[in-house]
Order: sequence, then C-alpha cells, then structure tokens
Amino acid sequence: MSSVAHAKTPSTDPAVRFRVHHFDSAVKQQNAARLGMWLFLGTEVLLFAGLFCAYVIYRSIFPQEWKAASHHLNTQLGIVNTVVLITSSLTMAMAIHYAHSNRRIASVLATLITIGGGAAFLVIHGFEYYHEYTVGALPGGFYNYPALPYTGARMFYTLYFLMTGLHSAHVFIGMAILAVLAVRTYVGHFNHAYYTPLELGGMYWHLVDLIWIFLFPLLYLV
Amino acid sequence: MAQHTSEHSHGAGDGGHHETPSTSRYLIVFVLLLIFTVLTYVTAKMDLGRANLIIALAIATTKATLVVLFFMHLVDHGTACRLVFGVSTLFLVVLILGVLADVKTRFPAALPHGETVRPEHMMRPHHSEAPVKRPAFRVVSVEPTR
Repeated sequence: MSSVAHAKTPSTDPAVRFRVHHFDSAVKQQNAARLGMWLFLGTEVLLFAGLFCAYVIYRSIFPQEWKAASHHLNTQLGIVNTVVLITSSLTMAMAIHYAHSNRRIASVLATLITIGGGAAFLVIHGFEYYHEYTVGALPGGFYNYPALPYTGARMFYTLYFLMTGLHSAHVFIGMAILAVLAVRTYVGHFNHAYYTPLELGGMYWHLVDLIWIFLFPLLYLV
Repeated sequence: MAQHTSEHSHGAGDGGHHETPSTSRYLIVFVLLLIFTVLTYVTAKMDLGRANLIIALAIATTKATLVVLFFMHLVDHGTACRLVFGVSTLFLVVLILGVLADVKTRFPAALPHGETVRPEHMMRPHHSEAPVKRPAFRVVSVEPTR
C-alpha cells in the first residue's frame, strides 16, 4: 500500500528526516537555527555580564587587595585550563568539519575528545577549589583566610567562586549536550547536508571557551 | 538573509564527498590562540601599571574575536547573526562602562568598604574588664583606595 511505502522513505537520510516544512528551504531552516542559537548565546553573554559588572565594581574599590588575592591563585593551573579549553574548541570545530564531510567515526571521536577536555578542566578546577577550601579562602560568609584578612580579598574570592562556578556549570552542561550529540552522530543522524544540532552544540562549547578567555586574565593575571 | 551555506568551498577540500572549508583555518586560529595565551601571560608578569589591564583586555578581545569569527563561523553566518552578537556585546560594554563611571566618580564615603575597627580612644572600657573577643580574622580600617 502506498502508506507503507511512504513510511519507509524518509527514515534514514537526515536531510530529509529532520527537514521541517514551514521553512521554504533547508538553507533557510539552517539559517534560522543559527540565528536562534546566536540569540541564545547573546543571553548567555548577558548572564555573565552581571558577574563581570560586580567584578568591575569591587576591583575598582579594592585594587590592592585584588592584586594580592589574585597572586594567591594558581596561575599555572589557570594556564593549563586555558590551553585545555582552547584545544577542546579546536577538536569541536574538527568534529563539526568531519560530520560535514561524512566522516562519522572521526566526528564522534573528536566530540569525545572535546568532552574529555571539559572533564579535565573540571578536575583541575576541583584541585584548585580543594586547595582554597583547605586554606579557608571560601566565598562570602565562609571566608576565613588568615593570609589575606581583608574584605577586598573576601570579595575577590566570592567573585572568583561565583564566576568560575557558573562557568564550570556551563562546562558541565556543555559536556552533557555534547555527549547526546556524540550518540546522535554515532547512530547517523548527521551527514554532509544536515549537521545543524552538532553545529549549535559546538557554538555553545565555543561560548564556554570564550567566557574562560575573559575569566582567565581577569582573575588570574591581575 | 544570506544565502550562502558552508558548502561553498573556501579552500581545498580534504577528500570528502562535498566541498567543505579547509581545516587549515582552524589550525591557524588554534596556533594564534596559543600564541596570544603565552603573550597575555608574559605581559602580565611585566609591571606596566595601568597598561597591564588594557593589554590583557585587548589580547582577550582579540582571542575572543578569533574564536567567534572562525570557530563559531560568524564569518559564514548571515548578517542577522552578526547583528545579534554585535548588539549583545555593545550592551555588555554599555553596562560595564555605565557602572564603572558611577563607581569611579563617587564620593569616597558613599562607597561600600570593609568593616572598620574603631580607634582605641573611642572605645569605652569594657565594664566586666574581660578582654574584648577578637573576630576570627583581623579587620582593617579601610579608606577605599582609589
């Protein structure tokens, strides 16, 4: 029967399967998806803008304490984290490139390496946080760091934990998104003509890298 | 709306079925990002006074621009996307500049500052003669430094 024949046809080619017909063409569908994602990334930037704003205020009030507190952070680990995230951004861009080139397994592997980079980032942060916990450099009301008994240092560490904490939450969410995308790539949801979800997930990961590019000099290199 | 998609070739393809942008631009951007990272670390170690912050922000902005344009493909996406991201960044700058202008031009006593320790001559003798309990960490009288 014709209904059975129709049910079989669109199931495997992603360009057909994921095509929604209220868009005039696949290109317009892709452009709309990208615009939506850029809008979302704009809101993410404005989310972090609030914390950067608080940073600006307190740094201008407590410049000496800011410098002193920043020297107590582990800059070497910060550099390692920066390199890890930049490399993971590269592997993510490669993953999208491979999916666009019909190289499914290469794309999956590149995505998995990206997730591994995120995990390494979180582990390194964990070591930093543990060290700060042991010396008492904690945010807000829990601050009790004898080496820096200043309110300005307390505000620095509060903002440090809030900003890196929110950023690490985004890294974790990004890892979950990329894991789902890796599975979808593996089962063949993407090909040269349709790889939009992978592209959008990659944009999210690059935004996470972007935010760290600003966090690193502002927190570690005062 | 921009009609072009990333199926236009920007360089030699790498043997895939369809024309795709070459991977060399990703590697070039990656190497540039690493160079800028080293640069920001090195310049931070030098003492340049106020220029330290400006240089650090300039390098960070350059790195961010590279990531946004090439890793996130803003060069390939349409004008609307560039407009969205540009306006978001513009409002971010407006927010920070506005707040900075406020804080930097405040009367010093209007700024929040740390707890103060009252000078000794203003402290009344404790009626039970027991020593005053010290706080967990030493608080310092702070005039907000400019």
